[in-house]
Amino acid sequence: MTQWDDSKAQAVSSDITDESNALPARYFTGQDIFEMEKETVFGQYWVYAGHANCIKEAGEYFTRTIGERQLIIVRGHDGNIKAFDNVCAHRGSKMVTDTPMTDSGNARRIKCPYHLWTYDLEGDLKSTPKSFEEASLNPDLEDEEVQEFDSKENALNDVHVDSIGPLIFVNLSADPMSLDEQAGVMKDRLEALPLGEYEHASRIVSEVECNWKVFSSNYSECDHCQANHQDWIKGISLNESELEVNDYHWVLHYTHDEDVDDELRIHDEHEAQFHYFWPNFTVNMYGTADGYGTYIIDPIDTNRFQLIADYYFEDPELSEEEEAFIRTSRQLQEEDFELVERQWEGLKTGALSQAQLGPNEHTVHRFHQLAQQAYNS
Amino acid sequence: MSSQDQEPYVAACPNCDVTRQTDDPNEVINFYRRHYRVTGHDIEIEHAEPDLDNAVTANDLKDVIRELEGQHRNGVPMGVIAAVMKERGLSVKQTLDEIHELRMGGGLYEPQDDHLAAF
Repeated sequence: MTQWDDSKAQAVSSDITDESNALPARYFTGQDIFEMEKETVFGQYWVYAGHANCIKEAGEYFTRTIGERQLIIVRGHDGNIKAFDNVCAHRGSKMVTDTPMTDSGNARRIKCPYHLWTYDLEGDLKSTPKSFEEASLNPDLEDEEVQEFDSKENALNDVHVDSIGPLIFVNLSADPMSLDEQAGVMKDRLEALPLGEYEHASRIVSEVECNWKVFSSNYSECDHCQANHQDWIKGISLNESELEVNDYHWVLHYTHDEDVDDELRIHDEHEAQFHYFWPNFTVNMYGTADGYGTYIIDPIDTNRFQLIADYYFEDPELSEEEEAFIRTSRQLQEEDFELVERQWEGLKTGALSQAQLGPNEHTVHRFHQLAQQAYNS
Repeated sequence: MSSQDQEPYVAACPNCDVTRQTDDPNEVINFYRRHYRVTGHDIEIEHAEPDLDNAVTANDLKDVIRELEGQHRNGVPMGVIAAVMKERGLSVKQTLDEIHELRMGGGLYEPQDDHLAAF
């Protein structure tokens, strides 16, 4: 029975076959929940930052905001990728201007514009201006008494970073579980594909009026496809589909009628794979295009999220077919936005205290379980 | 949404086909900032309050702000400035860049967040 009464809103069960309870609605609508999620979800798990091909040369960087943390993701002189808080160790000034992954910046050093403290690409403090070496304005201090700033002690605050193929992830926790553990078999599967040989070709960003978890839940199941993605399902054999659930990710496998040429395909014949990686990232392997896509489902606040849709092809210059493919993908997004915004309108009314899930929504159930697990941590 | 219940301000990114409708002019600026941060794209103001710039005769940004101050106590919202400058051929990004330039030269100040007044 659907639960309309607050008193019946229970924790998500561990077994979908016995219980079909969704995450109680207040975890979607509560204004305080996103504040909690900044720490318990986005501050604890590996979160996708961007693609290594967008920062191929030493000094290339882009910025990424996760929760309230503003990060610089940069390629070091040693070729490795680092992530730092975009905050100067001197007095906390924000340093580099926001730079999207699509239009990355380039710097030999990271310099704070406030007092010109300058860091190398390892994050170590390399130089300070003369005003930090001489006490000419301070009558109580001799120049030789001025403290020297240790380059390591005054380094930028670095953040854990790791990769799956070219996909860069960061973790804000001081002592995180490994990315290998969070990604499980998804890491092996994706690393078996030549993802790094594909280039970023297009980015579409949409701001949507609903809680991020509503969209994530919608992405994770296709029971709604028959009624709402009528153009798309024409080429899909829904009955032959498979929904695979793992610890921190789940995969929706779909069988296509059509396929791309054998030489071009980067995954199994006639198959599309849609990977959802907790908490807010997806990898979309299409059955009808030689390329792949990613979604970042970034909350803005409780009521809004930003969907960042990136597309990767062998050549960053899009062919007509690839442009048409992206238009189709955009159509699917628009259809989903309408669905999730409508659901959000209903959820916000507070009439429903806890939804119930169907037997083919076990992927959604896993997502809700992980949210509850994070909130309880 | 029909044209009858359209919000006073409508902004869109022509590259991404994303539209933002709002009754708060500064939400257009927030939309631009969020969108530019992740895409590098400028946005276009497609629609703004129809009477917005009737009383404004100036073309120069600083003079436009000075004239608009008569209608806005404690600073002119940046979204209103962007909408008026759009009629003078400037995009949101161009307007914000010019505002930055003027502010750095001491020609403008910010009596409250994202509201501007001219010296």
